[in-house]
Amino acid sequence: MDLETLCLIFGSSTQYRRIKAMKNALIGRRTVSNLYWALQYDMLDFVDSLHGQQFGDDQQVALKLSQAGLIVVDDRLQFKLTKKGQAIHDDYTAQLLPLKYLGVSSRFDVNRFAQRFVFASQIVSEYSYANHKYYPQSLGYYDDQLLKHWFIANKRQNLPKQFHDLLRGFLSRLDNDQRAEVFVQSLIGHHFSGMTEDQLADSLKTRPAIIEIQWLQLYGMLLLLIQKHPQPNPFMQLTAGLEKPVISNSAKKTFELYRRQMVPSIDQIVAQRRIKQTTVYEHLIEAAIMAPVAQFPYQSLIQPKTFQQLTLTQPDDVANWAFDQAAEEVPGLSFFEFRLFQIYRSKTAHDD
Amino acid sequence: MMTDLKVALKKYFGFDHFRPGQEAILQYLLNGQNTLAVLPTGGGKTLLYQLYGALTHQRVVIVSPLISLMQDQVSRLQYLGSKRVVALTSALDFHEKAVIIDHLNQYQFIYVSPEMLAHPDILNRMAHLNVGLLVIDEAHCISEWGPDFRPDYLKLGQVRQKLGQPLTLMMTATATPFVRQDILNHLNFQTAKPKQVLLPINRKNIFLSAQICQDQKHKDQTLLELVQTLNGAGIIYFSSKKQAEQVADMLNQKTDRKVMAYHGGMDHQRRFHIQQQFMDGNLDIVCATSAFGMGIDKDDVRFVIHYHLPANIQSYVQEIGRCGRDQKPSLAILLYEPNDRYLQLNLIDHTIPDIGVVDYLYQHPKALNDDDQFRVIKYYFDKGLSFESVQRVFDQAKRRRIAELSAMVNYVYHPGCRRTQLLDYFDEDVSDNDRTFCCDHDSDFWGDWRNFNQKYLKVSSTTGPIQSKDWRQVIDQLFLLKN
Repeated sequence: MDLETLCLIFGSSTQYRRIKAMKNALIGRRTVSNLYWALQYDMLDFVDSLHGQQFGDDQQVALKLSQAGLIVVDDRLQFKLTKKGQAIHDDYTAQLLPLKYLGVSSRFDVNRFAQRFVFASQIVSEYSYANHKYYPQSLGYYDDQLLKHWFIANKRQNLPKQFHDLLRGFLSRLDNDQRAEVFVQSLIGHHFSGMTEDQLADSLKTRPAIIEIQWLQLYGMLLLLIQKHPQPNPFMQLTAGLEKPVISNSAKKTFELYRRQMVPSIDQIVAQRRIKQTTVYEHLIEAAIMAPVAQFPYQSLIQPKTFQQLTLTQPDDVANWAFDQAAEEVPGLSFFEFRLFQIYRSKTAHDD
Repeated sequence: MMTDLKVALKKYFGFDHFRPGQEAILQYLLNGQNTLAVLPTGGGKTLLYQLYGALTHQRVVIVSPLISLMQDQVSRLQYLGSKRVVALTSALDFHEKAVIIDHLNQYQFIYVSPEMLAHPDILNRMAHLNVGLLVIDEAHCISEWGPDFRPDYLKLGQVRQKLGQPLTLMMTATATPFVRQDILNHLNFQTAKPKQVLLPINRKNIFLSAQICQDQKHKDQTLLELVQTLNGAGIIYFSSKKQAEQVADMLNQKTDRKVMAYHGGMDHQRRFHIQQQFMDGNLDIVCATSAFGMGIDKDDVRFVIHYHLPANIQSYVQEIGRCGRDQKPSLAILLYEPNDRYLQLNLIDHTIPDIGVVDYLYQHPKALNDDDQFRVIKYYFDKGLSFESVQRVFDQAKRRRIAELSAMVNYVYHPGCRRTQLLDYFDEDVSDNDRTFCCDHDSDFWGDWRNFNQKYLKVSSTTGPIQSKDWRQVIDQLFLLKN
């Protein structure tokens, strides 16, 4: 997917952002550092939403966008949108659905759902014409088997009508013919071969990445709609096994263990889980970033005195506060406490 | 077995007639005779083993070297009506592989890559299966990619032994007498001679031409004029994915034809859209690498242009064979500029291991397991070949590939009839050639190609514009409702 378009969508005219950190958040490289920056850029809802995508080179993209006068770049390869860049940002976001619908891809494997749905549509479309001679798609062994069993189990339920009604209803409610058009072109079926993202982008005079994001958003919406449909419904099986954990399983284990302890002790988790102390810290930082403020025990993990000192000495821009500077002010400060404090402050600032 | 094959053909596939050679091959197989079949591209190879499976209810194992295209073959078989089909390749993940292997006996048609068969546990599993027919597809790979490049293909003789020497069908679209003999030797058929069914390579309805361009610019200009003018659907072949994309962009910008690039580096969904659009007649031209063609069942491709010359004449014959399957007049054009030769020479250098690497690996054999690219070297190392012998094998392979490339270049520069030159390579007789529709040596094609286009290349009725329906109409069309 083209990184230039993404920089313009996720860039800001008020905050310098690192292209690499944004990219890593979108593809779901869940290091605590990446998650921390996703929090600072207000991108936590989009972590892993573009999983598996290939992007261009950061430096080349930065150079190209700054030469076009769309961004300004500082010496640490952080960028900010110019007025001209902000105008394009506004244009792109106006073409998309509200960005929260891309967030569905952060919680579910929407891309895989879309592939299954397109394949199911092809099968049902050809079936409605009683055509058995066609080239079926192939998504890999598991999904091919899933689709096969799904079709056998549901084919007596008047699937053509169910697909017809679901899509007519869903696309009518968009109240936007162009978006509905973009959606149907992702399908393949009887004497219908749809369009690729660049063909659509060409005909709608936009960027292929915009079309790809629109598809993810629309299929995310459709997935949520199917889940809300009266149960059981034949589409539900197409969403099986696509949920993604918000916190990685290992971090979740550590966090739950910590919360269950009467007298919380990190050493005890180190012993119980047979992991390094630094790993426990990383797991807890991940949990702090991903969990709502009220659900994370900041008070028991940052010494009250340290908390107080940090509050007194914090600069305006807590997110970019360097640990070395803070440690000079607060003797004996650990990086773990420092990071938790930054997270706490960022989250409460967001809440304000 | 006495079977009325025409009745079966009608019953299972709805066709009234076999394509040339099909009936004879099936008859041999039903009589239990091993067969080597040389059928042209689009000659209906899949139907042979599918009909055999339908008639005998036996299990068919198909060994195919093209992993990336095996799934297309599975789709094709499903398209033709067989449902118990699976492909067992290294493209599967660990769990998928385990599930398929556990359920192998549920499948009637099993596609498998030669690499997979090299795993003793998989081969043992297959050996318990009761294989009715072993099909070796693209059998020329034994020789063409030969001793050095697909060592696992060389083990197929042992594989066949292990499977209990089942009835075997060896198939290829192009094979010189030398290659045919090589196939039989490698599969240990030295004494018991299998039946051979050889169909002519010659495709009389394809006009052959080539143009030597001064440079890249001249080539692009020639291509542009051709694409703008030639009637009907076409395929343009490239050796490089990047250039396939660049030229597709250029043609879209500068002509009114609808052009898309297609190569193995694209994701599946995108390839599927493009493939379907081309088959439905919504696309005029595909700029492709050799990955394109296998799953394509389009009879009315009117022209094939080679932007880059292929590595050898066999590949060229296969690729131009994708036009004119409807038997109507079609056109093959090879655009050549002298530097193209170096592109192929580079590819040869890249595919044959560097002798320095071989030397290092012979001294550090543990590293042989580090990378799948070392598979070929590992094969010889495990076999106990000395470094000097391996060096000789690779030198020889390189020389052979260069010789094949030279034959391809000679075809471009050939001062006489191109068809004669092409068919000579396969020892095929050209005495009954129609000189009025043959090649650019026998007629002033390049001075008159616009008239040629008007006279011979007819636009097919299946060509239609890209869908411009309202989304509601699309949904109504996709899901036909019965009132």
